[in-house]
Amino acid sequence: MNADRYTPCRALIAEDEPILAATLARTLGALWPALEIVATAANGIAAVEQALALRPDVLFLDIKMPGQTGLEGAEELLERWDGARPFPQIVFVTAYDDYAVQAFERAALDYVLKPVSEARLARTVERLQARLREQPADGGLAQLVAQMRALLPEAAPSGRLHVIRAAVGNMVRMIPVQDVVYFQALDKYVNVATAEGDALIRLSLKDLLAQLDGTRFCQVSRGCIVNLGQVTNASRDAAGKLTLALRSRPDKLKVSPLFAHLFRQM
Amino acid sequence: MASLTQSLPLGAPARPRLKRLADDLGISVVLSAWAAVLITLIDGRPGELYRQMVYSMCIGLIAVLLIDAVRLQFWDDPVRRRRFMLPFLALVVLSAPFAHYSGCVLGEFILGAGWAPLRDYPGRMHVQMILFSLLGICATFLLIMNRERIARIQAERGEARARAETIGRQAAQAQLRLLQAQIEPHMLFNTLANLQGLIAIDPGRAATMLDQLIQYLRATLGATRAESTTLGEEFAAIEAYLGLMAVRMGPRLAYGCSLPAALRGARLPPMLLQPLVENAIVHGLEPALDGGAIRIEARTRDGQLEITVADSGCGLQAAADGHGHDHGHGQTGGHGIGIATTRERLQALYGERAALTLAPGSPHGTLACLTLPLEPA
Repeated sequence: MNADRYTPCRALIAEDEPILAATLARTLGALWPALEIVATAANGIAAVEQALALRPDVLFLDIKMPGQTGLEGAEELLERWDGARPFPQIVFVTAYDDYAVQAFERAALDYVLKPVSEARLARTVERLQARLREQPADGGLAQLVAQMRALLPEAAPSGRLHVIRAAVGNMVRMIPVQDVVYFQALDKYVNVATAEGDALIRLSLKDLLAQLDGTRFCQVSRGCIVNLGQVTNASRDAAGKLTLALRSRPDKLKVSPLFAHLFRQM
Repeated sequence: MASLTQSLPLGAPARPRLKRLADDLGISVVLSAWAAVLITLIDGRPGELYRQMVYSMCIGLIAVLLIDAVRLQFWDDPVRRRRFMLPFLALVVLSAPFAHYSGCVLGEFILGAGWAPLRDYPGRMHVQMILFSLLGICATFLLIMNRERIARIQAERGEARARAETIGRQAAQAQLRLLQAQIEPHMLFNTLANLQGLIAIDPGRAATMLDQLIQYLRATLGATRAESTTLGEEFAAIEAYLGLMAVRMGPRLAYGCSLPAALRGARLPPMLLQPLVENAIVHGLEPALDGGAIRIEARTRDGQLEITVADSGCGLQAAADGHGHDHGHGQTGGHGIGIATTRERLQALYGERAALTLAPGSPHGTLACLTLPLEPA
């Protein structure tokens, strides 16, 4: 136990309210003197960039932040993290919020409630130290992926979409949904990729997913839904990242670790 | 509760007695005419119709005038109707021979025979006619009293409906006010977390923040009870709220309030302005990466009170697109709910005399403008 306290360890705090960030840093300093707070990020976008740049061992992520939520940030980080270093241990921080708390308990993810009680934070610190000491081969990534997957909203089907009406220049193209190779989110639009070319629709990927046939289409990353009938193979690169090759387009699609289980051999 | 009883209609106003008497005489004329036609048909002498008509009308008018005058003067109490039934029936029975006799005398006079008491009255013929008159009088009063009963039931129905509507409207008002005065647990716990942190870092600022929290809670919780408040009090509560948010958001939030001294005492319903300010923070400035500024101003324009809430946040469209974090609550376009509730309240309170408009701010953000009738203290 004592050895843990002095093993150098680096943490990043993502919290938009400055006093809360300072308070968390202060309390952590008292409970875990060997922990170095390498940076504090004030929004969900900076949190991901800083985490990628600084490679902390522990990441405290506030749920409600400008830019994107802590959950969205964790998803993005999972997609963009290269396998060279172990994935950080993530602890979510949230104020009273029925939904989030229930979701975390269901997923057995580590979370801390604001206002933070020192006793509760001490338990989290112990758990973190234990996990960092064990350091499983994949950095506990498999467990995190399984837990995060439990948090993903179940797509509640809201009527089937058969034809996509997409803008191409100043006309509207009618695309039968089975002709779509994949959908890719682009800022405010979604790109509809077909064998013949691309077209844009203004709909969120989340709303789109709810209207698609779940046996034919599936989400493979935060920004991409693929037509499973168009996938020829899935291959893993040296860093362990999964990519999909497609039948009628030359593009390769990256698969987020959150969805990699869909392309494992039977 | 005072307003509840005041605004309820206190029973339909009773029609004046003379008007009701005139109505009843009208009914008697119609029924008398029918009786004359009937008698002529039975009698088989069409030439006698005019004479029959005159006698019939005279008898009918005298009977109804006598009975109705007494009834309306002494026995016109719907609650004690049953107690008056017997004397009323007695009057009807007794008035039949009287009305018949005096009706016949009056009829003779009108038909040009002059004033003369009838000879050998009552003869056998007369007794039959008296009974027939009694029947006619009874029919007339059955009709009159039934009409009155229907009118009474309709009036009561209308009254009950109006009462239910008033109560419903007041309940809706209370509900809306309660809805708007809800304190979001997320806001409360985040504020407490900041307070907890400040106590260790800067106890002086912690004390100020606690003061502001108390003021905010008092204004928000008290609003469910108060009927109206002053603009000065509303602005004080809003400044407390913005003070709390400024501690929480740090350099990401700048704010300013402007209230002319002359408008401090102006009255307005509670919880009308605060939700607009909370919307601007929660949907406009909190989700914006670099935050922004909010400005609340009150002024008079064309004799009306105009209050504007301007923020430089991420704007209406972004909030509707769900960039305003609702993480999982399904409150996309949370602006919408608060705004719709406020508009409903304005409509119920002022009708067309108040308005709430939302417009994009320049260069970005949202401008909310609330217009109300000016109610000086």
